[in-house]
This record gives sequence, C-alpha cells and structure tokens, in this order.
Amino acid sequence: MNPKRILVVEDEPGVTRSLKLTLESGGGYVVLGENDAPNTLNAARTFRPDLILLDVIMPRLDGGDVAARLRADPLLRDTPIVFLTALVSSEETDGHEKSKGAETFLAKPADLVELKKTLEEHLRG
Amino acid sequence: MPVRVGLLLGSVAAVGWVDFLTGFEVSVSFLYLLPIALGTRVAGRSVGNLVALVSAGAWRGADLLAGHTYGYWLIPLWDTLMFASTLLVVVALLASLREANEGLEQTVSRRTQSLQAENAQRRRAEEDLRQALGDVRKAQAELRRTQFQLIEAAKMESAARLAAGIAHEVKNPLMTLSLGMDYFLNRPPENADEAQLTQDMKEAVHRASDVINVLLDYARPRPLERTSEDIHNIIEQSLTLVRHPLSRQHVTVVREFDPMVSPVWLDRTRIEHVFVNLFLNAMQAMPPGGTLTVRTLPSEPGGGDNDAPAGVIVEVDDTGHGIMPANLSRVFEPFFTTKPPGQGSGLGLAIAHKIMEIHGGSIRLSNRNEGGARATLQFNTEPKDRS
Repeated sequence: MNPKRILVVEDEPGVTRSLKLTLESGGGYVVLGENDAPNTLNAARTFRPDLILLDVIMPRLDGGDVAARLRADPLLRDTPIVFLTALVSSEETDGHEKSKGAETFLAKPADLVELKKTLEEHLRG
Repeated sequence: MPVRVGLLLGSVAAVGWVDFLTGFEVSVSFLYLLPIALGTRVAGRSVGNLVALVSAGAWRGADLLAGHTYGYWLIPLWDTLMFASTLLVVVALLASLREANEGLEQTVSRRTQSLQAENAQRRRAEEDLRQALGDVRKAQAELRRTQFQLIEAAKMESAARLAAGIAHEVKNPLMTLSLGMDYFLNRPPENADEAQLTQDMKEAVHRASDVINVLLDYARPRPLERTSEDIHNIIEQSLTLVRHPLSRQHVTVVREFDPMVSPVWLDRTRIEHVFVNLFLNAMQAMPPGGTLTVRTLPSEPGGGDNDAPAGVIVEVDDTGHGIMPANLSRVFEPFFTTKPPGQGSGLGLAIAHKIMEIHGGSIRLSNRNEGGARATLQFNTEPKDRS
C-alpha cells in the first residue's frame, strides 16, 4: 500500500519537524512541512497531498484563508483538511478532534495516537 | 326669623307687665336688657334695635298705665329718650361684639382652610419627593449594576485575549514536546529509567496543557446547552467520575436527597464540572476517612424577589478543616488557592462560580458549626415562559 501523503502547514518549525519525524517513523505516511502559509497552494499543487493538516493561527495568512484558497482550486478542493488549533479547550473537544460545521479541528497538543486516529478516519473517507 | 322676633317682643311685653305691676323703677327696668341682649346675640343689630325701641315704649307704657304724673310734659318724653338711647348703646356694643366674633371666626376658618390646603400640598410634595428619591435610588442601583457588568465584560475580554495569547504561545511548543515524547516512546528504550522518564515528560506535557485549557474555559465560557434535568442524576454521575480518588482517600459519601425536588434547568456537562470540582476540593480538605455529604432540598420561591422562580438547593458538606475566615471572601477569585504550588490552578472555584452565575443560580461557601466547610448551590427550575 502506498504511503499517504500529508501536507503540514504550520508556522512553528518544531511542530512540522516533530510531525514529520513521528508520522514517518511509524511508516505509512510521507509528510511535507510548509512553514510559510502563503506558499501552501504551490506546495500542495506540487506535493498532491491526500490530507492537509492546517494550523489556524499563523502570522501572514490564517488557516481559514488558506483553506478558502485550497477550496477554490479545482485540483485541491476535495483534499480533506484537518485544522490544528491551540484555541479550543479540552471541554470543547473532550481532548479529541471534533467536527465543527464542515471542518475538523484537532486540539493542540495532540498526541500521536489521537493524531493517527483522526488521519485514518479522514483518509478512509 | 318672624317667630324669634315675636317671641322677643312677647318677652318685652312680659317685662312691661311686670314693670307695671311692681312699679319698681330701676330694678325692673334692667330686665328689659334680657330680650335685647338675646335678640342682638341671636338675630343681630337690626332686631336688637327693634327690641330696644319696643322695650323703651313698653317701659314708658307701663309708667303711663300706672298713672304716674309729672310736673312738666317734657320730662317723661326726655326720660323715654334717655332710656331708649341707653338701650340702643347696649345694642350697639353687643352687636359690635357679635360682629367682631363673627369676623374672628371667619378669619380663623379662612386661615384653617388655607393651612389645610398648605398641608395637603406639602404632603403631596413630600410624596413626590419620596417617589423621586425611590426612582433615583433605583436608577443608581441600575447604574451600579451596569457599571459592574461593563467592568466584568472588559475584564473578561482582556482575560480571553490573554488566555488566547498564552494558549497559542504555550501549546505550540507543547505539541512539539508531545510528539517528540511519542517518538521516543515508540522506540525501544535503553533502560527502564529512560522509558519512565519519557512517560513522566509526556504526563508533564498533559498537565501543562490542562492548565491552559482551564484558563481558556474560564476566560471564554461557551454558550450553555440547557435541558431539564433531575439534579440527583447529575450528582450521581459526578460522584461516579470521582469515585476512584474518593475511595483511595477512604471518603464516605452520604446522600440526603429529597425525592420531591423539581427538575432543574441547566447545562449538564458544565454542572457536572462544578460538582466534580467541589467533591475533589472537599476530598482534598479532609484527612483520609472523612465524610462527604451531598444534600438536596427545595428552595423557597421568591427569596426576597417575588419574580424569582422556585428551585433546588444542593449542599455539599465535608468534615475537613474548614476555610480560614480571612479567605472566605476570596475563594472565588481567579488564581486564589491555598493548595501547595502545582496542585491547583486557583481557577476551579472561580470557574464553578462563573458557571453558576451564567445559569442564573448561585454558589457560596461557609464553615459549618460542626466543623468542616459547606458549599451551597442554588439552581433554578425550567422557566414557565420558555418557548
């Protein structure tokens, strides 16, 4: 089975590096980290991810704007997006991911088990 | 009036008759003053004058009838004129007295009326003033409430901003640490200590994250999702959530539930949060083997405010060391804690207070006479006008 391609858009290089390391070390995933939000579209067109992990609060362009640009692109509009956010409390997510409208949010700091579970659910769909 | 005049003239005739019969000049003549005084007093100056003139006539008539003779015809005429004049002077004096009395009475009556009117006006003015004072007091209280709400809202807004900033700045590095720990945990450890250390680090990340979540919950409470609930179910569920720590501390749980209390109108998850917090606080305040009593009772409708709905009171008693009197007024302040560093965020009771407040209920803490502390919570029932 081909490894799943995950694009991580996140301004904190430590987060992108640790996500790449942990997801790839277990096998089954290829991860590309993008720390500059405005460059997401280019990165996604080249990388063609199966899923995008997108930080909500970023300095130059926030996660909502990036998602709008991705949805407007015919090549990428169907790629599932999981938002990573520090601004939801445990009570709102029960410590797990939670769909809010059409979007899926994963509360930081997510651990590997939780993260993989969320990725698998969305990659299956 | 004619009857009165007739009676007066009759009495004059009677006096004249006595005058004629007795012939005592001076002594009897004084009797004429009686009908004159009476007439003037009762009917006024004109009637008095009339009675005086008739009396003078009667006096002279009685004299003539008695057959008295005078040396010169002018003498009886002169006497009669003198007598009539004396009587008329008496009438004039009495009439003046009567008129002065009447004038005085009128003046007193006029002044009394004017005083009464002034008093009524003063009473009305007092009433208006009292009403205005009440309105001012009400407006002042309203202003104070609005001011308090504005200050609270401003405080909450800055707290929410601060919490969001902290969450963003702290949770990103925590995410890196958490994933890093996972990476090490997935590799075979070199020894048992390393595995334990990695696990401890992972738990430390969780704890730090929990503190941030508590801060977020406090600073930005989400809207309530209220349903009508049996308060006993919520208490039982909350006791289930803390049964392990309670049993580790050998805490005895006593339930004193009133089965007749009404269903309450609340956000179940958030009220469970309040109870869990209170139960854990109670447990931490007691030495092992303490007793936790949870009691429910109906609250009286009104409570000073007639519009307040009936509700349910829940009391949570512990057998611990109680709360220092100096701390009683501060226990609901954010970040106030008496626990050792690292064992409490100081936000638990502040959040419980906020949750009860947004439910329109209340929470207060007190020391029990028997020892230990009591938390008293007031819940409202479902509003009747809810649509």
